[in-house]
Amino acid sequence: MDNLKYLFAVNVFVWGGIFVYVFSLVRRNHSLKKDLDLLKETLKKDSGHE
Amino acid sequence: MSEASQENDSPGYSLMALAGIGILAALVAIFLYVPTEKTEGVVQRIMYFHVPSAWIAFFAFFIVFLCSILYLWKKEREWDIYAHASAEIGIVFCSLVLITGPLWAKPIWGRWWVWDSRLTLTLVLWLIYVAYLMLRAQSEAGSIRAKYAAVIGIVGFLDIPLIHFSVLWWRGFHPQPKFITTEGLGAGNDPSMNVTLLIALGAFTLLYFLLMSLRVRLERMKDEIDRIKKERLYSH
Repeated sequence: MDNLKYLFAVNVFVWGGIFVYVFSLVRRNHSLKKDLDLLKETLKKDSGHE
Repeated sequence: MSEASQENDSPGYSLMALAGIGILAALVAIFLYVPTEKTEGVVQRIMYFHVPSAWIAFFAFFIVFLCSILYLWKKEREWDIYAHASAEIGIVFCSLVLITGPLWAKPIWGRWWVWDSRLTLTLVLWLIYVAYLMLRAQSEAGSIRAKYAAVIGIVGFLDIPLIHFSVLWWRGFHPQPKFITTEGLGAGNDPSMNVTLLIALGAFTLLYFLLMSLRVRLERMKDEIDRIKKERLYSH
């Protein structure tokens, strides 16, 4: 039963690692979407001025 | 609304639900269904995380290999996107293999790491694809970067057959395959172990496709931003 700590550590690393990666994808996705929306808005304003 | 942002607004909920159900089923099978192995005890359950992680790493690098060949052949950006996305996911799972392996080795072999052929070649694989991602991160986007990356993606994959056959060709610490054997899939194993491993492999495969869809979407958004910026630059 002493070896349970190794199984526990594996679970922490596997699920923790996957969670951190998914979180980084979601964060990058939000940041890019914000940039994209901002760009589109600027384009719209620019075309309105012309 | 553009294609990329439309895609961004519609995440693959069905894939997300499937992956979630798959992971839940795998956890139930690993911790409640499969009996504890006699010789290794509870620590043997690490196999149900270690083997699927290795499977996904190898599968992801196979996709990199395939898409890199297709990119060099067709010169279409789409293949470069898939290769890049798959390499990143492959690195995540290869890192998990290199973490879960030592955590399994310590209680069984008494050492965290040995310079066994399979372990060393897996570390080499990890380094090759880290180099692949570093090349992509350090150089300017374009067809030259994609070409060099494709070459590394193809050459790097050649390490995988070596990893697979290393335990058969050279004597080392790492055990020989217990699921893919010459007698057949899972021959000689307790059926519950085979079922649990298959469920875990299925769950991790669904997770791979979910991560791929998220990662590919990111790359397409980056491309759209670049396209708009270039259009603005030329219009002024």
